[in-house]
Amino acid sequence: MGRYVIRRLIQAIPVLLGATLLIFCIVFALPGDPIAALFGDKRPDPAIAEVLREQYHLNDPLLLQYWYYISGVLFRGDFGVNFADIPVSQIMAGKFQITLNLALTALTMEAVIGVGLGLWAALRRGKATDTMILASTLLLISVPTLVTGFVLQLLLGVKLKQWTGADIFPVAGTFAGWRSYLLPGFVLAGTSIAYLTRLTRTSLAETLRADYIRTATAKGLSRRRVVGRHGLRNALIPLVTYLGADLGNLMGGAVITETIFNLQGIGNQLFTSVYLREQPVVVGIVTVLVLVYILANLVVDLLYAVLDPRIRYE
Amino acid sequence: MRVTKGARIVAGTALLALAVAACGGGASDSGGTAAGGGETPVRMEIGEPQELLNPQNTTETEGSEVLAAVFSPLVRYDENKQPVEEAAESITTTDSKVWTIKLKSGYTWHDGTPVTAADYARAWNFAALQDNAMSSSYFFGRVDGYEDVHPGEGKTPSAKEMKGLKVVDDSTLEVTLAAPFSQFKTMLGYTAFYPMPKSAIGPDGKVTQAFGEQPIGQGLFKLDKPYKKGTDPTIELSVYDKFPGKKPTGWTKLQFKVYTSSETAWNDLQAENLDIHDSLPATAISTAKQVLGDRYFDEPDASIGYIGTPLKYNKDFQNVDVRKAISMAIDRKTITDTVFSGTRSPADDFINPAIPGYRQGACEACTYNPAEAKKLYEAAGGPKTIELGYNNDGGHKEWIEAVANNLRANLGIEVTPKPFEKFQGILDALDSKEYKGLFRMGWAIDYPAAENYLTPIFGTGAIGTGSNYGGYSNKDFDELVAKGDQATDSAEGLKFYQQADDILLKDLPYIPVYFYRSNFGHSTKVKNVKLNLLNQINWADIEKA
Repeated sequence: MGRYVIRRLIQAIPVLLGATLLIFCIVFALPGDPIAALFGDKRPDPAIAEVLREQYHLNDPLLLQYWYYISGVLFRGDFGVNFADIPVSQIMAGKFQITLNLALTALTMEAVIGVGLGLWAALRRGKATDTMILASTLLLISVPTLVTGFVLQLLLGVKLKQWTGADIFPVAGTFAGWRSYLLPGFVLAGTSIAYLTRLTRTSLAETLRADYIRTATAKGLSRRRVVGRHGLRNALIPLVTYLGADLGNLMGGAVITETIFNLQGIGNQLFTSVYLREQPVVVGIVTVLVLVYILANLVVDLLYAVLDPRIRYE
Repeated sequence: MRVTKGARIVAGTALLALAVAACGGGASDSGGTAAGGGETPVRMEIGEPQELLNPQNTTETEGSEVLAAVFSPLVRYDENKQPVEEAAESITTTDSKVWTIKLKSGYTWHDGTPVTAADYARAWNFAALQDNAMSSSYFFGRVDGYEDVHPGEGKTPSAKEMKGLKVVDDSTLEVTLAAPFSQFKTMLGYTAFYPMPKSAIGPDGKVTQAFGEQPIGQGLFKLDKPYKKGTDPTIELSVYDKFPGKKPTGWTKLQFKVYTSSETAWNDLQAENLDIHDSLPATAISTAKQVLGDRYFDEPDASIGYIGTPLKYNKDFQNVDVRKAISMAIDRKTITDTVFSGTRSPADDFINPAIPGYRQGACEACTYNPAEAKKLYEAAGGPKTIELGYNNDGGHKEWIEAVANNLRANLGIEVTPKPFEKFQGILDALDSKEYKGLFRMGWAIDYPAAENYLTPIFGTGAIGTGSNYGGYSNKDFDELVAKGDQATDSAEGLKFYQQADDILLKDLPYIPVYFYRSNFGHSTKVKNVKLNLLNQINWADIEKA
């Protein structure tokens, strides 16, 4: 098991290096001059643009630029600076904290609400509860995050405070500690909750029809034990796979939610940095996201072994 | 001045176009909950400053707004839009060429040391020196000796300091310009002309990171702690005790809250989590009027939007009648009312109403007259197909489409709106002759003088280095502007500038379409909120309600 983990981690190194080079090339290949972009709608003073290009090595060939970057990262632990001379490590540290809080809140909500509802629906299959749950998840899937975000912000953030005077769900920002993440967490988790509910329902319904469940029931085990121990545990494998992959999505793809709730997280930063062609920032963030995916996948694989004793890693 | 709000609105408006559609009116103003302990600051909305907080490298609106609280300018602008001395005791000249700036006594840096004339000379020389790559460098282009410190691309400066700047004594600075410029005093209120303390420059000759995060100014507010750009959601300031000018009564704490979307800030304002919002989104305007009532303001803003014509690049537009016909075919009123929900007003001059020198209705060809337009266009043999270039990153698509519809319907020609990723892309395409159609153009002033709408955009000298992207060149115009520059007083100069403006109105090198407006609002917790000509808040006047 330990050896398996180490082997997986070593395999991650070329993946990460490849990712940095690939992203570096992609940002490089984007049309437009990053220095000109700094000057907005005005033509930059050619003399100043020249000094800046020199300063950020923009006149050098691609591979040399990449070497400057990657040697800084590997030998000095220096992730470079953006065009305002702010170290990328400083930018990433602050923003990943916020995004991680948001993603974990969303993931917890998915796991609790999604699996909970799915379980309920599976046990009441074909009844009114089941139909209602299915209908409401359909609604959640079809309404874009943009709409749920704004509507919930307006109702639970603005209006609730105006009506009751109590500041339960902050409208925006991270000033209220963990409470700040409840609303955006739910909005971000919205579609995933719906998918997870449906996934749980189907997976559990499938499992509950299996022979060993019939055997367990015939043995006289309690319903709780049959469903919990034998049913749900076996139904969990696809759910864990989904949750693991979703963590990466939640971290990198929260641009809209972050913007609506003014959380200055990684999604927003990535959006701006791609726009401004800030190679070091984009590469830094994407590399960390790749790392998150790799680790999440590893954890998922390890969890398979826990859930299903037949799976063993040497 | 470059407007980063544009960039932010990409993240904002483009993603959040649906915005406040669900927003109903008639909200009641319940009192906010008081935060326990300490003074609740006055909270102001900004977008993230583009650079570190260094006045000489800040030419965008968000950073300027913060710096305006931390620094006190040499001049401010009074009710009549005229510059009056603020940190300066007097600013005098006899020939508009040599200017003597006497500093008011009593000003100290936030670290306690007195402000001297050398601090001004240091800042201006630092900004002008090419190697420092400061974005405000061009502001000093009129100072004698600028060529030596800023010789241009590929050349090495032959001096470190401009010979036109002379520190006479601790409180007197003498500025010699390369040529007379009657509006120099008006320029001095801008961010680039703030002084710089000696401690700002590190041993490597650059502005230190520490200064950029927590600038030491000589203004009303000082930063409580370094602002970590990209990480901190707020910038915290408090009143500097030893500030010699007017201080606000009843409050001492100011907080800038950084927003990525102006829609979100608007929701925060409604929930009273924010006190002042000076860039209300167009989607929220009708609701804001209802919800805020007399706390909503709508004032002229000094920026202007045009349709640019590529005179230098395309013969089709060289006939003035073609440009006039296009101008007359644009229904400005409908565009500003519907596309912009009233956040712009129809343009009728090259000079903006916020600035002295504007004449209402000066642009005759700016009146909507489709019948006359068609006649004129056909008589002049205007092109049958037109391309209309715009940059896709600043919310321009809608009004460009509207203009295209106007031209199609009224001139009976084929019009293709052509999106470019960034504004710079249009200029590059024009230069490389890949594109030769009309283009969207906007101008935000660098200093509030009529001259700023003329020289940098239409002067012959501004082709190539300035913002004269269409390549318009008219000797009479250049001469009149020069006469205005040489005038010995501002008012006399204005007469010549207006005559130069008349030439533009006759030639229509660009077609003015709309003037911007400032839409701002505030919470129930503050009152007496006013914006100055540079769209910055007069903090000393604000009272807590």
